[in-house]
Amino acid sequence: MTQQLITRLGLSIATLALASFAALPPARAEDAVTVNISIKDHRFAPAELHAPAGKPIVIIVKNLDSAPAEFESNMLRVEKVVTGGGTITLRIRPLDPGRYRFFDDFHQETQGFLVVK
Amino acid sequence: MRIDLPARKIVAAALFSTATVFGASAQPPANPAAQSVADVFHEAESKYMFGFIDGADIGNEGEKAIEYEATGSFQKRGGGYSAIEHELEFEHVLTQNFAYELSAHGIQHSISGVEGLDDRNSAQFSGASAKLRYLIIGRGPGSPIGLTISAEPEWSRIDGTDGTQVQAYASEFRVVADTELITNRLYAALNLIYAPEVAKPADTGMWERSSSVGLGAGLTYRITPTFAMGVAAEYDRAYDGLTLQTFDGHAFFAGPTMQINLSRKMLLAAAFMAQVAGHAVDDPRPLDLTNFEKYRANLKFEVEF
Repeated sequence: MTQQLITRLGLSIATLALASFAALPPARAEDAVTVNISIKDHRFAPAELHAPAGKPIVIIVKNLDSAPAEFESNMLRVEKVVTGGGTITLRIRPLDPGRYRFFDDFHQETQGFLVVK
Repeated sequence: MRIDLPARKIVAAALFSTATVFGASAQPPANPAAQSVADVFHEAESKYMFGFIDGADIGNEGEKAIEYEATGSFQKRGGGYSAIEHELEFEHVLTQNFAYELSAHGIQHSISGVEGLDDRNSAQFSGASAKLRYLIIGRGPGSPIGLTISAEPEWSRIDGTDGTQVQAYASEFRVVADTELITNRLYAALNLIYAPEVAKPADTGMWERSSSVGLGAGLTYRITPTFAMGVAAEYDRAYDGLTLQTFDGHAFFAGPTMQINLSRKMLLAAAFMAQVAGHAVDDPRPLDLTNFEKYRANLKFEVEF
């Protein structure tokens, strides 16, 4: 009895997990929206980026300072070092509407937001 | 509650470490501007917040880390018992939805006068494992709940309970869900665990099959932006057979957890659990100390690079 209950519970959760995965909309790279941001004097410019919901996003980060920075976001689930004077490209999955914080992990007072509508 | 010597040492060491490290991290920063930034509760990674219970976060794409993890089991029926497994792990978050870990394991046993086990004092290389984590739903603006599935296949050459030679293959599968009950402050997690194992002890040469299932829950509160404490509980059932054929026993564990972010790239997490209820088949005594230990403790130290 208990074994059947546990097996059913496990199968139900596994099914739910697979269904959630299958329900994810397919993201096509050619639909990606590109946004640009720079770092100057340890500040993001612009401090707020905008992008549409449901489309892949490419963020191009230019570091105009001589010191390295690390673009990081727990909400976007990315982190990457950008050398002084360097440029990096980050590819972000399609996002739900909302406000996503990002920051420079080497200078944590440097932060900005990606606003997805 | 009477705590035996090894467990007492672990608890004392954990409390000492906590006091020392937390005390150190409580020093006022030299830069007042940094103080105001550090005092803000931003998003935090939930992966290790709940001790023995996993959080759904897998980390950020591009993250690489080296981790040391020690997991101790203390006290069986009678005598003195401790088994401490040490793991050295490499972790890599490959994409925004997938992360893996590769680990080498060593194990120390100290067993004397325990019912059903031979006395032993040994430290041995015990095997290797991998952990694959797939984030199905990320916690964030689109969902209040994070959902992750994980698989942790493991090869062992030493029996984790008695320290004898064995050829064992096991895997632990988890469905992990978590949420923020108070944004960036109070976190809750739920785990469903299934762990089948096949093992061939060197002394019998016969393959044995076993499995366990568990349900775990954790609740953690961030007291400061870098320090969190919580409680966790886990209910485990042990079986003969890979698919839960014959019930062997069950146990309910509960205990405290804590996590300290020592710096931007260093993290320390610790957890302790005591078996507060349980029963082994064919044993009228309280608690299941045949299939499970009385106390378990876990320590993780991670350095990201």
